[in-house]
Amino acid sequence: MGTYWSLPLIIFAVILQATVLPQIRIFGGQPDLVFLMMLSWAIHGRLEQNVIWAFVGGIAQDLMSAAPTGASVLGMLLLAFGIEQIQRQVYRIGFMLIIALVIMGTLLQKLVFMVVLAFSGFAVYPLENLTYVILPTIAYNLLFIGPIYWLIRRLQRRIQRRSTSKQHALTL
Amino acid sequence: MNQGSGFRRSWRSNRALFLVVCVLLTAGMIIASRAGLLAPVEDLLTVPLNAVSGVFNRVSLTVSDNVSRFSDVQTLQQRIADLETALALYQSELVDLREINSDYQRLANLLSYTTSVQNQEFVTANVIAVDENSSLRTITLDRGTRDGIAVGMPVVAGVAGSNVKGGLVGRVIRVSANASRVMLVTDPSSAVSARLQTNRVEGTVRGKVAGTLEMDLLPLDAQIVSGTLVITSGLGGNFPQDIVIGQVTSFRLADSGLNQIAQVSSLINFDTLEFALIITNFQPVDLSIFEQATPAP
Repeated sequence: MGTYWSLPLIIFAVILQATVLPQIRIFGGQPDLVFLMMLSWAIHGRLEQNVIWAFVGGIAQDLMSAAPTGASVLGMLLLAFGIEQIQRQVYRIGFMLIIALVIMGTLLQKLVFMVVLAFSGFAVYPLENLTYVILPTIAYNLLFIGPIYWLIRRLQRRIQRRSTSKQHALTL
Repeated sequence: MNQGSGFRRSWRSNRALFLVVCVLLTAGMIIASRAGLLAPVEDLLTVPLNAVSGVFNRVSLTVSDNVSRFSDVQTLQQRIADLETALALYQSELVDLREINSDYQRLANLLSYTTSVQNQEFVTANVIAVDENSSLRTITLDRGTRDGIAVGMPVVAGVAGSNVKGGLVGRVIRVSANASRVMLVTDPSSAVSARLQTNRVEGTVRGKVAGTLEMDLLPLDAQIVSGTLVITSGLGGNFPQDIVIGQVTSFRLADSGLNQIAQVSSLINFDTLEFALIITNFQPVDLSIFEQATPAP
């Protein structure tokens, strides 16, 4: 059920990212809504759902970019599997862990993206990208993770409640 | 049936295998995309995305215009209120007139550029989206193959508040039926053969990650003066000659000590670019044929 929600939500986020968010860019950084939505979903979601979010989100992002299709998927996939691994290790993912995930996740996502770009023949300057793009993006992502996590968590709870009540009705 | 779902469950539960399959699938997708095999699907999927983006972009630009204008109006009101409170009644009318005026200025710049260049044909296009990824500097225009746009066509734009009529925006790198993607001159992968307008010294203008421009490979003995216009040289066959790229702001010796590097400031504000002109009658020259080894006679 959660996977059906990913498509309209992610397309809305991608369009916002290509049109509205460039207006609030600091240096080359802007909030990465698709990444934040995927991360927020992955914290409580099942691995299969998270992988679908990573694929749908990454492909939608790349369609609105000059990057080859799939370039943004790779980083998000690794993150989805990483979060699932963490879920199995800890009792619950708390506030500090979410902050750490945003920082490390953004770094991972951008680095993997740069590697794919470099292999695809684009000119990549890692140090300049770090100071001009990645660090401002991390700052923005830290600012935006709160409202996005809250929104996605509400959606997840609503979906869970609905599927539980459906199961009850079926057993009766 | 049960066997099938059991198999699905078991290979999903094998996390490492699941990860490897996903990564391989993505790598295949990237390779296919680079080879152009996914182009029909990508074009099909981007059509609705571009259409919705166009609407959103227009709305967001209008809102951001109005927000900045609103702050101007507030400052003016503060001053004017002391002198003449009645003037506040005309504020909303003033906002509308400014909107019309700024649209007029932009269009007039484009028109004066198209009339000043006799031997070039243009298609006017609206900017409908900017690149999703901040590391890349590309924009999407609302004109595609249906309007005669092809890969390699140069893109220029009018320059507001300057004697220079038009400036180089970039080059079309990808076209779909109703949209085209333009790599800006400020993209780190962009390199344009250029010369200084006054003394005809040649070099290469490259984009930087920060969105600035640098003119590289300038000879050591070249006289460089701040404020000099940098124009396209036409060498390499990718751009027509004499399109203004920007203005020299400063220069320094390269780290190697073998040449000079000039910082170039584009006359175009790429962040607020709304319209652009695609030069449709320019054919980029394919020089790759000369790079192949010639067979011995």
